[in-house]
Amino acid sequence: MRNGVVLMDSGGRYIDSGVIQISLTNAIIIVAMIVVFALAILLPFPGRGRRGGRGGDS
Amino acid sequence: MTAASAGGEPTPAGSWTVRTRDRITRIVPPGQALPDRQPAYMSSWIYVFGILTVAALLVVVATGVLLAVGGVAWWHVSRTGHFVNSLHLWSVELFFAFMVIHLWGKFWMAAWRGNRALTWMTGVVAFLGSIGTAFTGYLSQSNFDSQWISTQAKDGLNAVGVGAYFNVLNPGQMLMWHITLLPLVLGAIVGLHLVLVRRHGIVPPIDAEGPDDVDLQEAGAL
Repeated sequence: MRNGVVLMDSGGRYIDSGVIQISLTNAIIIVAMIVVFALAILLPFPGRGRRGGRGGDS
Repeated sequence: MTAASAGGEPTPAGSWTVRTRDRITRIVPPGQALPDRQPAYMSSWIYVFGILTVAALLVVVATGVLLAVGGVAWWHVSRTGHFVNSLHLWSVELFFAFMVIHLWGKFWMAAWRGNRALTWMTGVVAFLGSIGTAFTGYLSQSNFDSQWISTQAKDGLNAVGVGAYFNVLNPGQMLMWHITLLPLVLGAIVGLHLVLVRRHGIVPPIDAEGPDDVDLQEAGAL
């Protein structure tokens, strides 16, 4: 029973700004996904420099 | 027109086997289903997230099968069951993260270009179907969390008028939807999406379109 009370008390932290209310966990996950997206575009792909031509025969 | 069978006997062109084979060949020509070479513009990490999504989906299905074998008590009580339950949860989290990053990448490269509208739309439907499948998963946990979510959801769903067709407070119905109906539908949509990707090829970057695109089309990449 005590555990249940503790769980209810720890309802999570929220970012509250005007009409926007989001849990800190969800905000961190979204920011992490944006970072991964940016890295996927910016980081060089292994072996990219070694390839000549476009080899587009799919 | 006839086709030779393995025994040398001619096979009539009207045979459904021949028709099916011809149709498959027309949909995805030989060599395009599992290509061993790709255009140079695909040398970017952003093109990896589609197959990462598929890989995560395979783990989701595999762990889901194990949960179905073990049953509710197993995933609540057994340590191994807890572990498989966690694998199921986190593979779903990764599935959605990869899928959304894949969506962002395809949106910003306008991936519906070049007669790929159906590819884009099957991706959209797969995304929406995945949300429904994940939601019924939350309802199938058989704990207080699933009770809370179902009681909150029924108000929202009834408010938009779809509560007459299914009942989120019915755990049996939601479990069957989650492990049978929705995976079958989602699997079919994802399969169609992948076939269309292989049929039309990967969309070239916007600034790569032009004379070079003709070369790619001739090479069968588009």
